[in-house]
Amino acid sequence: MIQVQQVVRDYHTGETVVHALKGVSIDIADGEFTSIAGPSGSGKTTLLNLIGCIDSLDSGEILIGDQQVSTMDKKSKTEFRRNNLGFIFQTYNLIPVLSAYENVSFVLSILGVPEQEIKERTMRMLKEVGLEGMEHRRPGRLSGGQQQRIAIARALVKNPKIVLADEPTANLDSKTGEEILQLMQKMNEKYGTTFIFSTHDVMVMDYAKRLVELHDGQIISDERRQ
Amino acid sequence: MKFIISLAFRNLTRYRRRTMITAFAIAIGLMMFIMVDSVLIGVESESMRNLRWYETSAIRIMHEDYWEDRLMKPLDVAVENPYDIVHQLHQSGYDAAPRITFAADMILYSDEFGEDGNMPVQVTAIDPLLDNTVFRFAETLIEGRFVEPGAMELVIGSWFAEDIGAEVGNWVTFVTRGNGGFYEAMDMQIVGIVNCPNPNVNRTLLMVPFDIVDEFLAMEGTATEINIGLSEQEDISEAKLHIEQLLGNTGQSLKIASWDELAQDYVALAEAKRGGTSMILFLVFIIAAVGISNTMLMAIFERIRELGMMRALGMDDRTIQLTFMIEAGGIGLIGSIVGVILGVLVNIYMVEVGIDLGFLMRDMDMGYRIQSLMRGAWSVKTLVTAFIFGTVLSMLVAYIPTRRALKMDIPSCLRHQ
Repeated sequence: MIQVQQVVRDYHTGETVVHALKGVSIDIADGEFTSIAGPSGSGKTTLLNLIGCIDSLDSGEILIGDQQVSTMDKKSKTEFRRNNLGFIFQTYNLIPVLSAYENVSFVLSILGVPEQEIKERTMRMLKEVGLEGMEHRRPGRLSGGQQQRIAIARALVKNPKIVLADEPTANLDSKTGEEILQLMQKMNEKYGTTFIFSTHDVMVMDYAKRLVELHDGQIISDERRQ
Repeated sequence: MKFIISLAFRNLTRYRRRTMITAFAIAIGLMMFIMVDSVLIGVESESMRNLRWYETSAIRIMHEDYWEDRLMKPLDVAVENPYDIVHQLHQSGYDAAPRITFAADMILYSDEFGEDGNMPVQVTAIDPLLDNTVFRFAETLIEGRFVEPGAMELVIGSWFAEDIGAEVGNWVTFVTRGNGGFYEAMDMQIVGIVNCPNPNVNRTLLMVPFDIVDEFLAMEGTATEINIGLSEQEDISEAKLHIEQLLGNTGQSLKIASWDELAQDYVALAEAKRGGTSMILFLVFIIAAVGISNTMLMAIFERIRELGMMRALGMDDRTIQLTFMIEAGGIGLIGSIVGVILGVLVNIYMVEVGIDLGFLMRDMDMGYRIQSLMRGAWSVKTLVTAFIFGTVLSMLVAYIPTRRALKMDIPSCLRHQ
């Protein structure tokens, strides 16, 4: 369970203060497939960053499970992210000098998983995302959709509680974007991982089982779908 | 750890040209360092040998008071019964030879030298039978022959001979004051010219027979110095101590000085030149530091988003820092390997062939006791130092730009274009 309570986040640029989140509260249950939607500047990336423990809030609190993540120090946040969170980025953010296999397996390496287990889990995850046989290819030799599949495999290979995806289909054509969403949906159903993804694309919103809309740093709607 | 090392080394191939340029800059710097250090070691060791073979010998015995006034070349504070001491030293296994050095005016005549003239000189009286057991002048004779006992003969350094236009067969006169202050003149014929590898000696050398000077200057069998030769393997301080004990009962107050005490000017110069090597090392340090720092700065700022991703996925700052430092260490490693290889190749030439600086040494006193050829010398310590220095320094200079990048917050890293 993720509990976001009265979260405020302001950004200061010179004399200007941007109120990115103005007292946002939301609870997300385990295994939910939630989309945070809204126009640019509505605060969806900020909300994802705060839940993902890569940004600090000004007031309010965030609990993930029974852990108060908003008050954690830098080291504890790093450790929390390493053990519990997976990330999928709009621009994939793969390491170009590593193969598909290595891009996925390195998250297990930093967790200290034994070599043999790394191999088994990585190969299984690459197969799950449809990249079997491409494990030795470097990102530069793969399409955008295939690269995002590596990113999904990388996010899921460590069995995280939560996967946060910031506009995961924004750099893909609609057909590939849909394939990626179907894959994410499949993984959500298969592993029960909580997925939270931001978007302003209507097609993407249609895939969400819960749609939270943000506008000017405030939640304007929260809709659960079948 | 395996992953970090693998990632760091693969990143080296990412900016291949930049990696190679930086590594090349380090290599050139290290090659220069190896070369300069080799030449300095070579020149120092040859200078030391030439000092001992042609100028100071390994150990010199003088009267205690002569040591104080040695620049004035006094004749009245000499070592008495020098041949007894030489004999005693011979019995203990030391090669020794007495000498008398004195200041004089050398008069040149127009019929042989073109015009009349005189110049202040320093003359060394040697025992022709013993001197070459300590010094090596016999091997440097390029014209004529060596002086013989009891003859009014003179051997001159080749550069000195060139400077005054002297040839074998010419006559010169030395005017000086004998022991007691009386004036004396000695006509001497040049019988030989030596080309001594020690330029300081070759510029000024005038050698005459010991017994002639003993008689003309009323030295009464005394010598201003007794020189002792030692092989290069022998421990000078040990030998000095032994000789001090050996001559403790002569009843004379003697000063026993080793070659480095006698050549203090050279020792000071060698130390200063060693300081010069440190300057070169410092320059290499600057080249490497700026090059690698710049390369790493560019590499890191081009990969800020990747860095943000790694941090978001839970890689701690220390591990990321280590990755970049290993990457920089890799550049340093390539540079060091190439630098040491280039250094060794250049050094083969420097040791086997050397650089002929005769045109400089002829008219310029650089302080080193080498005449023309500057040769290098092998030093494993220098090669190892250069290698470790290049690699470790590279790692250290990567620390600052990485630290700067890691100070950015993760969302800013992920937004970075």
